[in-house]
Amino acid sequence: MAGSIRGSGIAEPATAVERPSLRPVVRGRRWEILRQAARTRLGPLGVLVLLLAVTVALLAPVISPYDPLKQDLGHTLARPDRAHLMGTDNVGRDVLSRMIWGTRVSLLAGFGSVALAMVAGGILGLLAGYTGGHTDGFLMRLMDAVLSFPPLVLALALGAVLGAGLGGVVIALGVVYTPTFARLMRGQVLTITTREYVEAARALGAPGWRVAWHHVLPNAATPIVIQASLSVAFAILAEASLSFLGLGVQPPGASWGSMINAGRGYLQQAPWIVFWPGTALFVTVVGLNFVGDAVRDALDPRLRK
Amino acid sequence: MLVLVTAGVFTLIHLTPGDPIDVMMAESVDDSVKSNLRRELGLDQPIYVQYATWMGRLLRGDLGRSIRNGEPVIENVSRRIRPSLQLAALAMAVSLLIATPLGILSAARRNTSVDRVGTTFALFGICMPNFLLALLLIFLFGVKLRWPISGYLDPLEDGWPGLRSLVLPALTLGLALAAVVTRTLRSSMLEALGEDYVRTARAKGLSEWRVIRGHVLKNALIPVVTVLGLQLGTLIGGAVITEYVFALPGVGRLVVDAIFARDYPLVQGVVLLIAVGFILSNLAVDLLYGWIDPRIRYR
Amino acid sequence: MRSSALDANLHRRDFLLLCAMAAGAVAPTMAARPTSAQTTPKKGGTLRVGFYLEASTMDPHLSGSKVDRQIYHNIYEPLLTLDVKLGIKPGLAESWQQVEPKILVLKLRKGVKFQDGTDFNAEVVRFNFNRMKTEPKSVRKGEVASIESVDVVDPHTVRINLRRPDAALLATLTDRAGMMVSPKVVQERGAELERNAKGAGTGPFEFVEWVKDDHLLIKRNESYWNKQGGPYLDRVRYRPIPDDTVKLQSLQAGEIDVIDYVQPRDVAAVRADKNLVELDVPSLAAFSYQLNQTRPPFNVKSLRQAVAYAIDLDQIVKAVWLNVGVPANGPVPPTSWAYDKSIPPIKRDLAKAKAKLAEGGKPSGFPFTITTANIPINVQEAEVIQAQLAEVGIQAKIKLVDAATQLSDGNSKNFDMISYQWSGRPDPDGNSYQFFKTTPGTSLNWSGISNPQIDALLDKTREVSNQAERKKLYSELTKLLQDELPMIYIVHPIEPKAFSPKVQGYEPIPDGMMRFKEVWLK
Repeated sequence: MAGSIRGSGIAEPATAVERPSLRPVVRGRRWEILRQAARTRLGPLGVLVLLLAVTVALLAPVISPYDPLKQDLGHTLARPDRAHLMGTDNVGRDVLSRMIWGTRVSLLAGFGSVALAMVAGGILGLLAGYTGGHTDGFLMRLMDAVLSFPPLVLALALGAVLGAGLGGVVIALGVVYTPTFARLMRGQVLTITTREYVEAARALGAPGWRVAWHHVLPNAATPIVIQASLSVAFAILAEASLSFLGLGVQPPGASWGSMINAGRGYLQQAPWIVFWPGTALFVTVVGLNFVGDAVRDALDPRLRK
Repeated sequence: MLVLVTAGVFTLIHLTPGDPIDVMMAESVDDSVKSNLRRELGLDQPIYVQYATWMGRLLRGDLGRSIRNGEPVIENVSRRIRPSLQLAALAMAVSLLIATPLGILSAARRNTSVDRVGTTFALFGICMPNFLLALLLIFLFGVKLRWPISGYLDPLEDGWPGLRSLVLPALTLGLALAAVVTRTLRSSMLEALGEDYVRTARAKGLSEWRVIRGHVLKNALIPVVTVLGLQLGTLIGGAVITEYVFALPGVGRLVVDAIFARDYPLVQGVVLLIAVGFILSNLAVDLLYGWIDPRIRYR
Repeated sequence: MRSSALDANLHRRDFLLLCAMAAGAVAPTMAARPTSAQTTPKKGGTLRVGFYLEASTMDPHLSGSKVDRQIYHNIYEPLLTLDVKLGIKPGLAESWQQVEPKILVLKLRKGVKFQDGTDFNAEVVRFNFNRMKTEPKSVRKGEVASIESVDVVDPHTVRINLRRPDAALLATLTDRAGMMVSPKVVQERGAELERNAKGAGTGPFEFVEWVKDDHLLIKRNESYWNKQGGPYLDRVRYRPIPDDTVKLQSLQAGEIDVIDYVQPRDVAAVRADKNLVELDVPSLAAFSYQLNQTRPPFNVKSLRQAVAYAIDLDQIVKAVWLNVGVPANGPVPPTSWAYDKSIPPIKRDLAKAKAKLAEGGKPSGFPFTITTANIPINVQEAEVIQAQLAEVGIQAKIKLVDAATQLSDGNSKNFDMISYQWSGRPDPDGNSYQFFKTTPGTSLNWSGISNPQIDALLDKTREVSNQAERKKLYSELTKLLQDELPMIYIVHPIEPKAFSPKVQGYEPIPDGMMRFKEVWLK
């Protein structure tokens, strides 16, 4: 659900997980998946959006018409015109330039926090799945505890402790998303390690980590990647929400969420400060969702009619 | 497990820099008064002692008192629960109103333009940040149309003005929720429509509409109930931003304000209650699910 | 733009003009006053007020928050009150006399009763002061620290014995420290007084109920002792609306009648709105930054001065505060009798700034962090300052914190430069002493300044009772502060208030407190 940090992404991939492949994943299948994803109408659109975002982020210094920090106190709250395509904000900074630079922040926050969560959650899930017993129980209780925290509250508290700044937000969000990945990984570990070929491999004396590396991870990769692609979209939304509340990138840095927050008081006089970054945020998240959906649809055997 | 949550909250909130007494008495400096107050509230004890004391009181059913206003935490929460519950109920109503027809039609007319509208709506609803939606609604209704959008009036007491005060926030939350519900409903309907009994019904010559109404709908609604139930927890504790933007005195804002004021007992109490509420609603949904769908019971 | 001091005078003159004029005053943005026969006050109606915060307690002796005072000034009454020019006027005390430097005698008004029916007399006054000094949770202890004891001379005369001469005491008694609470209520109700103040005051309104997070209701006191003029309103209903935009929109939509503060960015729109009346109320407040003298970089005086010379106050007041305020020359606001308009605020001078940098050993600038509260106007101001400082090579980083962290950082001196907002006190002592006197341990002296010359000056301002002499002392202090720079003062904000045109008779007093005794609804 938009605005709630975790989003509804958790429920969906479960369907794909229920029927994992019965053999170790072979390279050819991956191409098949990609082709399937490409065939959906929206998937490529989403990829396009993503590519656009990444390009803008990378080329920010080049394509940005103004210095995003340059103030022009004589021209505050200017309407969009030829000089400033998207107007200026309350200290006269060009909104378009700030939006462009804000892309970096959003993408960093989105990918960064999910990457963190994937690694942390993956390790915890592996650990839990493999060792079982008390460790498993304890770890899963821990994950449940984190999950039952209202996510915004958790992020706020963590942010207050870790101090302001993008790093703090990335870590806070990483923590919030870790349980999802941990649970996912653990589920995969449990399902896969009971497969005969794995038991066979173990009977033959293959060490645990080898089994993990060759069998578990490749199979687990699929649902994790699906979850990741959906989580990135929500992580970007979450970073914007936290910036909206004042955490995250400190001024005068530009982040879509903080721009929206700053523009909140000027809705009457200068609505463009809120709505341009808002559009950027929305479009990016939608695009990412397209990608995630396409990948998920391609992988879900049931919908492949 | 709850111990973990509470310990976690405790540690976290005490790690944040800042002192509730300083916040309460920002403009006066009498140090002796402040330290007296701290001693009285036990804030000068080491963390684990404070935690133990709190735990002890908790086991006796006492959630403690808010530092800011001295009232029992329970009272603070119960006062704020009403707006949150009303908002949640309204939001759910809004979402059902929108999502039900949309979801059904999308599934029934799969891959037609209606379906596309429905899925697009669902997608947009999920991707729209709720603070942005809130601001959009404020802009449209508050700035352009000059409707009143301020705080909160209780519909049970003030009738129409009360309802009116909740409309925009309910729309904000409801639209987003509708997106999720539409999606769920659509996919569950698609699944149900593919079942054998449906094919039988169709073979018998029943009209599409009769088929849907008679058989499919009931089964399709189950996952919807699940989703709504799960979202209830989020709606109450997580509608923070909506509550902020529309100035509603709800539970979400209570927690955030408490965090900002370092009102430790209040934060711990509320988070605990929210976590408990969440767990309970999850449990209830699980039970409900198991009860409605006999297939699940024998897993 | 003309010099700031002149602007301040213009504002004050406008007010005096207004006050001297009859109802239906010329300036279209000012609320009409009922002093002429043109419109006679009507009794009745409920005034709905929107405030930014919830009140915290109804016990004036235990209150530490500014919002509470707004309500207190309607249900309680202090011994002395303020007039429009911040002069001291009689309140519950009819007259006062400084018999000796350490003895103050107050003659109390006769025939005043508390809303619970008990009498107001000298014994009550003694009871109240004792409570302020001895009640464990009393927040007024520091304010009445100079009072040694209170004697009852006769039922309507008290003698206050001071430990040391305290010229600021009279002004202190116009606020919470002078507010009289019914001893009967205190004794019977105890701690419940904090939530329920029924019958506890002598004011023109009495407390009815307080539903937290929703509203606070007070109603007209029918047995109020002052039969002249109001109160006219039946009731006043306070509503906490923390969001500024929502608050303003509530007013515009007619859901409330008064708001306590209009953000500078909304002032132009409110002025242009024909359905609203906007009132500029110059305040006692000051917005400044404290510089931490206990550690680098600001333990070096010339670096502090470099920052002061690099900041452009005029630009800040114009661009950030939108001229809803005047550049500040020090802790004394223009509304105060002690204000010295011959001392200009520090003018921007990049050459001097660079010279000071060199003097301080950092010719090409230096980095530091500005800690500021996470409020839009603070953020904006910090960004502007950052850009201004960058022009001489000083690299300022901005750190946003919430209020609790700001207080904690300030109290523990964990900052380089930290924003500070002080709501202001009628006597200049309240705006200066606790910030600049050498104080070990935790105090509001966040900068850590310890300057014997300043200490001596501060003590002297308390001893001397002649206003003209005190004014000279404060001028000296202001000049010293501009040199030593424990704080860089930015602006004395104006607190614009907005009303529905129905509201009549509002008389603004620069302490920012909204007193509704003479207010009536058309």
